[in-house]
Amino acid sequence: MKFQWLLTNLLLLAISSPGLTQEKKELRWGTDPVGGGPYVYKDEQGRFVGFEVELAEYLARELGRTSKMVTGDWDKLPELLDKAPGESGIDIVLNGYELRADLQKQYPATRPYYIYRLALIIHKDHAATFTGWGDLMRRKPDGTPHTVGVLGGSVAHEYMQSRAFRDTIDLKINPDVATVMGLVEQKRLDATVQDTPAARFYVRRSRTLMVADEPRKSGFYVILTRPGDHELREQLNQAITKGIRTGALKAIYEKYGVWNEDQERLLHWAEHTEWPPPLESSAEESVEEAAPDVWQLFGELLSAAGMTVFLSFTSFPIAMILGMIVALGRVYGAWYIRFPCSVYVEFLRGTPLLLQLYFVYYLLPKLIPGLDFTPVQAGIVGLAINYSAYEAENYRAGLLAIPRGQMEAALALGMSPWTALRVVIIPQAFRIVLPPVTNDFIALFKDTSVCSVILITELTRKYNELYNFNREYVIELAFLTAGLYLLMSYPLALVAQFLEKRLSRSGGESR
Amino acid sequence: MIVISHLVKYHGALRVLDGVSLQVRPGEVAALVGPSGSGKSTLLRCINGLESFHSGEIRFGEHLKLVGGEMPSQATLLLLRRRVGMVFQQFHLFPHMSVLKNVMSGPVYALGRSADEAEATARQWLDRVGLTDKLHARPAQLSGGQQQRVAIARALAVNPAAILFDEPTSALDPKMSAEVMRVIDDLADDPQVQVAMVIVTHDVAAVKAIADVVHVLRQGKVIFSGPAQEAFAPGGPASAGA
Repeated sequence: MKFQWLLTNLLLLAISSPGLTQEKKELRWGTDPVGGGPYVYKDEQGRFVGFEVELAEYLARELGRTSKMVTGDWDKLPELLDKAPGESGIDIVLNGYELRADLQKQYPATRPYYIYRLALIIHKDHAATFTGWGDLMRRKPDGTPHTVGVLGGSVAHEYMQSRAFRDTIDLKINPDVATVMGLVEQKRLDATVQDTPAARFYVRRSRTLMVADEPRKSGFYVILTRPGDHELREQLNQAITKGIRTGALKAIYEKYGVWNEDQERLLHWAEHTEWPPPLESSAEESVEEAAPDVWQLFGELLSAAGMTVFLSFTSFPIAMILGMIVALGRVYGAWYIRFPCSVYVEFLRGTPLLLQLYFVYYLLPKLIPGLDFTPVQAGIVGLAINYSAYEAENYRAGLLAIPRGQMEAALALGMSPWTALRVVIIPQAFRIVLPPVTNDFIALFKDTSVCSVILITELTRKYNELYNFNREYVIELAFLTAGLYLLMSYPLALVAQFLEKRLSRSGGESR
Repeated sequence: MIVISHLVKYHGALRVLDGVSLQVRPGEVAALVGPSGSGKSTLLRCINGLESFHSGEIRFGEHLKLVGGEMPSQATLLLLRRRVGMVFQQFHLFPHMSVLKNVMSGPVYALGRSADEAEATARQWLDRVGLTDKLHARPAQLSGGQQQRVAIARALAVNPAAILFDEPTSALDPKMSAEVMRVIDDLADDPQVQVAMVIVTHDVAAVKAIADVVHVLRQGKVIFSGPAQEAFAPGGPASAGA
């Protein structure tokens, strides 16, 4: 009884006392842990660590708040600022975001908290022939361009798109630094360009990677904020300046091995009267490039749409053939054929396309040495295999819908079972499955966008890239991209309608 | 000549065919009659290799045979079906092909004839069944009787030694039924058409008109083989009261 009385009073106290119920305000900072070390990554105990994690904690402390990490896709983090700071929104973006003129207009940046450079990373085996940035400005001795991986939407991406490298490198875009580094280690990419913190982090941990040449093109990591958050921005600037002066930032950076002499200039920039500096681009050393107009961007989208069409038109016929073989196996095969065919269908339908593409491109070469698909080959194979499972089910339904008498009539005429299938059953089944197969083909057009994870630049990937560097055309780009998808899929729908009408005239036997 | 000896077939525990023995001579028209469920259609399907059987055997001429309990080879089945055609109750025309292509399908895809040769054969048989004006029609555009006549032409186009008719008129109204039976009757009477026929039907008048021999089945057994007059005579094995 005495215990109950005590508990009740404690509860009442907890409800009535603001000190106990009102927690400190959160500083919700957006980050993408996929980017990895040394920014944000998990330690051996599974806790998030990294120089940005500690920086966020430092800033939150200085602001009298608690640090709250909110995760999202790296290139979409600024958009989280447009949401209300609640369950899904954030207060700041703090994740290796470089100061960029276009971003600065929409999401004003704080003073810099880090000065990075771009580092060129290669495989050690290539050290003799690949000595530095100059090599990227010439094609390889065999005349092919260097394959260079970059993080989509990064300054490295922007830099490698510049005129100097336009015809000499084949740029591969990926949202994951670790993946790109892995591909250089496997010699499936010639090089990658990364910011110095990431470059040092991965090179230190790898036996085969090395930094070629001196890092170049320094720039600032800044914190992005909402335009209206003047006060927050000012508080953050003061905290950054204080951290630089007191050595708090240096201590964090040294702990993660990212302190270098470039950081000595942070104080200059923190106290510089004019901020941001009048730069066309993000960097301390800017590269002058004329801003493209929307029609130039449309041209780029159009050529990426070509890749979408190519992937669709090459993978879908393979998917149809594979699907038909599997469906025939399931409907007409003996149990030892039916069983693996069923497993094939259920496995592929039950696992995401993304994972299958990863498997084909990244894991298969490790399991079967020598099976080294190019990204486009892997894309075609992955899409074809994935869609073959769906097509198999379509065809199975079509085959089962053909009355048994059709097969018997064909056999009774003296046709072999295969001829009966080819001449009598499959053509009729095809008429039945035409609508779902057309739907799948249209769906495949859109699913090609998943291929961006294996370094293929198709329409959606290109949209993302262009969007990142041309935020003033965000609406135009979205409409142009949607329009291109529509232009690709609508004619297919019309062709399907025409075929359905034409084939339906031939009728069908009732069951 | 088709010789069936001691044929036994089960559907589960049910002995559908219980030691059936009979013969079909070249050019003969044989009718299989008997109550529903007596095993007539099953026997036809066994003869054509569409169903297996448990014991007994079916011989086709000197060299070709199906043996109960044994899986026939694909080659045996192909040879057999090219010699023994079949016409089904539900016609089973190929709906995606024209009438002409339906009839050509056997010669082209089963016998490997050229399209020209097959077309000539198909036109000849379609003329014979009175459908020259429907060459390019689709099966769905034909009446039931016309469809069954196409099916007969299709079976004949592979030049079989025998044709099995599985209740060819039971899906048709009396007028169409008569139309089809007239075609079968004409073929049976034509000395140039040297093809044996085995007909499963409930049409007593038709059997009396065209059958050389009647086999009466009851509960999976052949209880009578002989002329139609005897089979359908009052008190005979296939009479209404039997």
